[in-house]
Amino acid sequence: MSDRRPPGEAAARPEMDALLERLAADRAATLDAARPAAVAKQRKRAGMTARERIAHLVDPGSFRETGQLAREADAEPGDRPADGIVTGSAMIEGRPAVLVAQDFMTMGGSSGELGGKKLHTAVRRSIREGAPLVMLLDGGGHRIQIGQSSRRYAPSTTTFQEFARLSGWAPMAAAMLGAGFAAPTNFAGLADFISMVRGQSTMGLAGPALVKAGTGEDVDKFELGGAQAQVDRNGIADLGTQDEAGALDSLKTFLGYLPSNARAPMPMRPAPAEDPARAQALRGLVPANTRKAYDVRRVVDLVMDEGSVFEVKPTYAKNAVTALARLAGRPVGVIANQAMSMGGMLTGPACDKVAHFVALCDAFGLPLVYFIDVPGFSIGSPAEKAQLGRRSAKLIYELGHATVPRVSVVLRKGYGLGYVAMAGGRSFEADAALAWPTAEICAMSIEGAVDVVNARRFAEMAAAGEDPAPERARLIAQMRAEVTPFGGAESFGLDDMIDPADTRPRILEALDRAPARRDLAMPPKFRSICPI
Amino acid sequence: MSEIELESEVAGVVLSVTAAAGATVAEGDEIMVIESMKMEIPVLATGPGVLASLAVEEGEAVSEGQVLARIRP
Repeated sequence: MSDRRPPGEAAARPEMDALLERLAADRAATLDAARPAAVAKQRKRAGMTARERIAHLVDPGSFRETGQLAREADAEPGDRPADGIVTGSAMIEGRPAVLVAQDFMTMGGSSGELGGKKLHTAVRRSIREGAPLVMLLDGGGHRIQIGQSSRRYAPSTTTFQEFARLSGWAPMAAAMLGAGFAAPTNFAGLADFISMVRGQSTMGLAGPALVKAGTGEDVDKFELGGAQAQVDRNGIADLGTQDEAGALDSLKTFLGYLPSNARAPMPMRPAPAEDPARAQALRGLVPANTRKAYDVRRVVDLVMDEGSVFEVKPTYAKNAVTALARLAGRPVGVIANQAMSMGGMLTGPACDKVAHFVALCDAFGLPLVYFIDVPGFSIGSPAEKAQLGRRSAKLIYELGHATVPRVSVVLRKGYGLGYVAMAGGRSFEADAALAWPTAEICAMSIEGAVDVVNARRFAEMAAAGEDPAPERARLIAQMRAEVTPFGGAESFGLDDMIDPADTRPRILEALDRAPARRDLAMPPKFRSICPI
Repeated sequence: MSEIELESEVAGVVLSVTAAAGATVAEGDEIMVIESMKMEIPVLATGPGVLASLAVEEGEAVSEGQVLARIRP
């Protein structure tokens, strides 16, 4: 050992104090308190600042920022704070998450070089830690002030490759909180859940200015990419909320149903006490008369834990309901045909909605619970134009790859390929294939089948001056007599026909028995190919 | 605020009109029933207000996206 001694504490102290002072000053310069004018502007255009949004979302005091002091070489402390993107880690309801929040107050939240690196690091970190990536987006795309440089742009980065790697490993959730055209939409492109604030948020590949320059189309930003367009009409985002707090809270709700990553334990809640009154109420909900509509969400509410149902895409393709919910405290994914909307038929948008939802549930281990009342897929020129022959196959594709438990309950109609695509009967080896006594399972609608088979005969009767209606009614009644749930149970096409009041315990029993994952015994291929 | 337009989500025939013009309606109230796909599909108020006008009559054929009624919030 050397006999040299470290300098005395007192000797080093003033130097360190000066450095700490500078650190504190640099840090303070990035905070909202140091930017009153920018904050005032942000209040007018949106509401919260990037840092306030994070504070609203995460457990108090849990945010640990990464790269707070990042600034470009030409920036003084306080210029372009944190280079326009606040990143870090935090706890959300007691579980870790990685956060990214664009700061619109810095160059309109555009992506600079350091900001791009910070985002990249956050995505990598989400993969490494197996923690959800939460993106609070409100900003522009490429920072145009950096210039249009081939030297800079050509190398690109592997950030989007990382997004693809993250998909299905840890949940990705995004809130669009204001300016969302271009880069924010690209970042949210692979997200599992996206919320938007009505009347405040936009999203889309390019905003009105670029659209005008590129195509000459003159369109308002909300008409092009507001919540009404992107949530209700186009379905690229999942939920429209009344305010920012609602959009942020919805991310927390969504994540509450999912494990931190695909191999992490399920977020269980205590099972509520069973309520016989709720079970009994199920008997009165579905009219046996297939002409009559009803709200299937009431069935879902009564079967699932009270107050646990969180609908994903409630305003898009309402003919199919997709919802996260809990059964005795365990998260499940619910897929139901909605008779109230288009008679519950499966359309292109409904196929996309359900297929994506099945993939989400399968990725994170949530069992699938199907409530079937499906008249089939939509038909005619619009359906063909919408590529329904291929989009319908996405339902088959996703179910065919799903390894999670699944239970099907036929409430009423189970027609054609729609019945198959809803996991009816033996189609995807359901852990329980059940039906209510109101079930009507067959290859196509009974009226349709009678009309197709007897088209010539009915025409001849009409030509001979004879009304075909009574004969048609007789044939329909005759065919309907063949189409009963008893038939389905008797042929062992279903496991059982049940009292609606027993639906909840029967699903629970099946899920308790089923292995968490099943082996699909796939042939030795490298991957499957999505039909569209 | 502008009027809420209720559009038909399917092509079909107006089977019955349940609410009267001028009536006060709540979100989710049935305004009329469209027959389509061999089903009776209810058209519900998407928001509260006064049923300002009915754009169709019973027995009328309607196309997808056609405005059926208007509600003044």
